Amino acid sequence: MWRGRAGALPAAIGALCRALPPGSRPAPETFRLAKFDRPEASLQIWRLLYSLLKQIHDGGWTELDTIGTQIRFVKSVLWYHGYGRPEFYQLPSDSSQGSRELLLAFSWLLNRISLLEQLLTVNRVKIRDEASVCTCEDNLSNSWKDRTEIALEPCLKREVDVRYLQWLNGRLRFQWRSLHVESQEQCKLLHKIHSYTSGCHMDQTIGHFSVTETDLIRQPDSYKQLLQSLESETSRLEAFLEWKRLEPVYWHWMETVLDTLSEDANTFKSEDVCKEKNTLPNANLCCHIASNIIGEIDKLTKDLVTLHDGLHELVTCKKSAWYEKVKSRERTLPDEREFCAAVRTITEAVKLKLSDLKYHCAHKKNGMHGPYRLVFKDKRSASKTGFLSSVSKEPITNVVNATEVISKLQMEEATLKRELKRLQEECRHKLDEIAEGLVGVICIPPMKR
Amino acid sequence: MSIVTVQLGQCGNQIGYEVFNAICSDFHSTHGICSKKENESYQEACKERFFSEEKTGVPVARAVLVDMEPKVISQTLSMAARSGHWKYDHQSHFCQKQGSGNNWANGYSVHGPTYRDVIMNLVQKEAEKCDRLSGFFTVMSMAGGTGSGMGAYVTQCLRDAFPTSFILNQVIWPYGTGEVIVQNYNSVLTLSHLYQSSDALLVHENDAIHKICAQLMNIKKISFRDVNQVIAHQLGSVFQPTYSSEGASQYSRSPLGDLMESLVPHPELKMLGLRNIPQMSENSLAYSTFTWPGLIKHLRQMLIAHAKMEEGIDWQVRPPLPGHPVPPKASPNQALHFNTSVANLVVLRGKDVQSVDLGGFRDPALYTSWLNPQEAFHIWKTPRAFNKYEKSASLVSNSQFLLQLMDNVVGKAWNMFASKAYVHQYTKFGIEEEDFLDCFTTLEQVISSYASL
Repeated sequence: MWRGRAGALPAAIGALCRALPPGSRPAPETFRLAKFDRPEASLQIWRLLYSLLKQIHDGGWTELDTIGTQIRFVKSVLWYHGYGRPEFYQLPSDSSQGSRELLLAFSWLLNRISLLEQLLTVNRVKIRDEASVCTCEDNLSNSWKDRTEIALEPCLKREVDVRYLQWLNGRLRFQWRSLHVESQEQCKLLHKIHSYTSGCHMDQTIGHFSVTETDLIRQPDSYKQLLQSLESETSRLEAFLEWKRLEPVYWHWMETVLDTLSEDANTFKSEDVCKEKNTLPNANLCCHIASNIIGEIDKLTKDLVTLHDGLHELVTCKKSAWYEKVKSRERTLPDEREFCAAVRTITEAVKLKLSDLKYHCAHKKNGMHGPYRLVFKDKRSASKTGFLSSVSKEPITNVVNATEVISKLQMEEATLKRELKRLQEECRHKLDEIAEGLVGVICIPPMKR
Repeated sequence: MSIVTVQLGQCGNQIGYEVFNAICSDFHSTHGICSKKENESYQEACKERFFSEEKTGVPVARAVLVDMEPKVISQTLSMAARSGHWKYDHQSHFCQKQGSGNNWANGYSVHGPTYRDVIMNLVQKEAEKCDRLSGFFTVMSMAGGTGSGMGAYVTQCLRDAFPTSFILNQVIWPYGTGEVIVQNYNSVLTLSHLYQSSDALLVHENDAIHKICAQLMNIKKISFRDVNQVIAHQLGSVFQPTYSSEGASQYSRSPLGDLMESLVPHPELKMLGLRNIPQMSENSLAYSTFTWPGLIKHLRQMLIAHAKMEEGIDWQVRPPLPGHPVPPKASPNQALHFNTSVANLVVLRGKDVQSVDLGGFRDPALYTSWLNPQEAFHIWKTPRAFNKYEKSASLVSNSQFLLQLMDNVVGKAWNMFASKAYVHQYTKFGIEEEDFLDCFTTLEQVISSYASL
């Protein structure tokens, strides 16, 4: 069936390769070699996976890692995303074999995490007017960084002077403050650019220049670089469209790869039995990440169950109290018309509250992830936009008001502050208990301001 | 990377003026041997740090002047304007008519809260002029009423209004035989209150500077102006632009941040001492040459042996050998021989800075046991010379420099307090005896932290 489209497969793979970022393009030949499990192709595909996954997870920060570290990284990321083929994790760290397994893993990523789309998003030409409003953490980067740090310091078990820990804590605080100063400076300068260039932009809905555009004005010679990056992005997008058109051909071909795989597997099944049981690349590494997540899931389930029980209790309490009330009210029934009118107003009020709640929940589900472009709207020109909106072509989706974001963040801040206070009180109680146990010691609290 | 200076009280305003003067004359100094490009980026960094642009072209110091008496402020403003090279913003000052009468409680509990809004308004205006606010630098003396009492209150307000900014307090330690009877009370109260809100306290002792003027600068009749000029020179040599890391391509944009992170992350250990070498009169300067090894050797011994200047250093003091820790002192009143450091920062300016060997400062024996020299020792450099000194080195040290001093002051203050002398002057304005006790406790804690290094 795909034999009829003999020319389509190279076109599809070619489009796929052209849609990948410029630094990480494999040769189309690699795919063919990988289908037949040729060892030459495996190193290339390891490198390819490493560079692509680094771009998505770490912002493209590629260190000069050895191939062993690179392989460990790729395995851990695939584990994180839920790739479950044990043969993949058993591949050796010297990249000497397994190109077919790697091809499977690559195709799985293409489908599962929309690899191409993510890469295109991450590699867009930046206008540097961006801000991100979501407060979610990237679990993978956090746990990967933890791992590498602890791997470098095996001597953590020795005794540490508490003053050194205080020192490190202080340094961390100061670094955080410096970061704060930097981001405030960035805000201030961005505000200056936006207010000085207002009214200059061709697009009326935005009205002012972005950082990249302002830079271009100050240094006109840099237009060449910008043009190149834009052209590269355009060609990648065009390749992506072509890929989307020819995608089914690729998946048909991948089915044949699976067929060859199962054929070989039947022949070599006896050998697999002798292989070690150590399926996980670095048992500690993956288990740590997994146990983190499992721990969190357990905690959440417990919390949910307690909440559910508590809610149930409250509801039964309230219900019984309500029935009492109703009973006492029944004795003093008003006349029917008034009653119906009262019921109507109540139902309407309830509907309003519920719809509010629904909107709130739905709004939260959208989640405001990913970067947003900052657009400065002067209060004075707000009245003018009222006229313009009737002229503009389509409504702008995904617009978030800065004031909304600020109030949301302030609410989150208030919750976190309450949590901090609660934890501090707990600590104080603990310290008081310990202090009472100590004989002949007077504990003096720090000076009040 | 702009620093906003808050000049508090008579002493603070006079010293603040001298600091800006020293910085400005360094700015215009043509003695620098470095390249033109280097000089230009130095000047640009210096300008952004301390001055803001105005339409008239004369740089305006980023400063707020506060005093309870009008005399010193008006003198300061006019002297600056007369120089022609720089001036103060004439809106950026606050003064009253009455003064604080050397009463700390008056400054802290009465003047502070009364004029808080006006003063913080001025500070806010200065802060908004900065694109990047590196932090606040306050200048005050500990002995008087305005600088110390109101200064402590203003520092607290700064901390409340700018919780994430860096605050460095420049504190002038009064003469041991000073004119103010209650200066010990004032000192104790100031130090303990500043410790709560400030990030670091940089101390200059009047006695030490006086000696420098007499012996090194050969000044016969030493006036306050001379003392202030020496202090200003020392401060300028630390806060003028430098490269704060190896291989940095531009002048540090965060001088206070770098300083704090290198020296005072520990919440109990915030006292900093400052030494500068060489210091001499301008006449002798023309006939002297210096070598880096000589300067560094002297600076290191000054650190180890508690010396305040480069003459009369006790060369007998040596760092303890490994395996023979410094014996714990029976009481802090014993003469301290060896100065244990927590962290040190050396600032080098001038010719051939790249070739300087600072291995002597990286000796682990100099530092406390829980911190290794890689983390405890920092260097800032620039090839651009400072004022007329072809080569100069400064040392900002978080060490036991001030241990003896603090202990003396606390001891004297406690003796006075035990006999309740003059305490009513403070309780009159709301500083109760419990507050005194709190302050003593805080300082004893600090002294003990430093003594047990």
